[in-house]
Amino acid sequence: MDEKELFEQYRRTRDPALRNEIVERNLYIAAMLAKKFVGRGVEYDDLYQIASLALVKGVDRFDPGRDAKFSTFITPTITGEIKNYFRDRSRLIHLPRRVSELRLEIKKTADKLLSETGKSPTPAELAAALGVTEEEVVSAIEAGAVVSLDRPAEEDGGSYYDVLPARDDAFERLERRDAVQAALKCLNERELEIVSCRYGEELSQTETAKRLNVSQMYVSRMERKILEKLRENLRKSMAD
Amino acid sequence: MMELLTMEFPLGREIMTSVRLATGGICALAGFGLDAAEDCKVCVTEGLLLLLGRGCERAKVSFTGGEKLLVALTGEGSAPSDRSVEEEISIALLSALVDDLEIKKEENGARITFGFSAL
Repeated sequence: MDEKELFEQYRRTRDPALRNEIVERNLYIAAMLAKKFVGRGVEYDDLYQIASLALVKGVDRFDPGRDAKFSTFITPTITGEIKNYFRDRSRLIHLPRRVSELRLEIKKTADKLLSETGKSPTPAELAAALGVTEEEVVSAIEAGAVVSLDRPAEEDGGSYYDVLPARDDAFERLERRDAVQAALKCLNERELEIVSCRYGEELSQTETAKRLNVSQMYVSRMERKILEKLRENLRKSMAD
Repeated sequence: MMELLTMEFPLGREIMTSVRLATGGICALAGFGLDAAEDCKVCVTEGLLLLLGRGCERAKVSFTGGEKLLVALTGEGSAPSDRSVEEEISIALLSALVDDLEIKKEENGARITFGFSAL
């Protein structure tokens, strides 16, 4: 059955099996578009999931009699959903952590490659070793340009060091640690393992997934659930 | 209208990182936010991939500033459009993200132009 016939039959019957077939035939569009938005702080698997959901919704809205081709119809729909996701959720939460994680990995790998080969590795060599794109390597290096705290920050000669607020308040740190320790008691063993990998060892979601022998999506979902649980617990303890 | 940057290079996948980084710089100059700049990088890359898919061997990219950022991508040495699904999806993606998309066949190549605004 060709695409048009499949859609016409689905519109007549609303048979879920037909919808599944249409979705499966077009999942490659979701994959193609998700790949184009990789490198912006959201894992490919998450983007693929968003794109796939948009595809499923789009199947119900497509009119084979009026709209030209499904691929042309669905591309802006999927693109819109991905853009909405970026706008609503991703940047503030993921980007800084991901970039800083990648920077640490780059540093470690660069040192390792230097000692092995005796020459400073290129971004392409680092990308191959880390399993990321060359662009991600270059961007992460670029993102981390450091500024000396002794650099003048004010016209009268004051440095950044002089104007930055003190961050190391021992009492506050102790209070925060107590609160976090108490909140962690609400987590089960599996959840504690994930917290330990992600925030103790600072592993990426993919590395955590490998360590625990689960999928990256599972780690992503669990992490969201854990953070919500901890937030709720901290909120309650503050109210008490 | 102010010409911001023009680049010419042999067209290949290995040059895309440099082009994307330069595009990011132009977006910063144009005052775009992070999301708009990332979208613009996707569009420039997509346009170049379209030219590459049509067999272009060299490309010229120019950015012009004004009310919106105008981008012109010219490819030389092209084969005709193969009307593949990939090409259709690329064009649909560009249409979803940019203003005034035009794709023209030229004597020895193709030219893609579009406008991009931060909104």
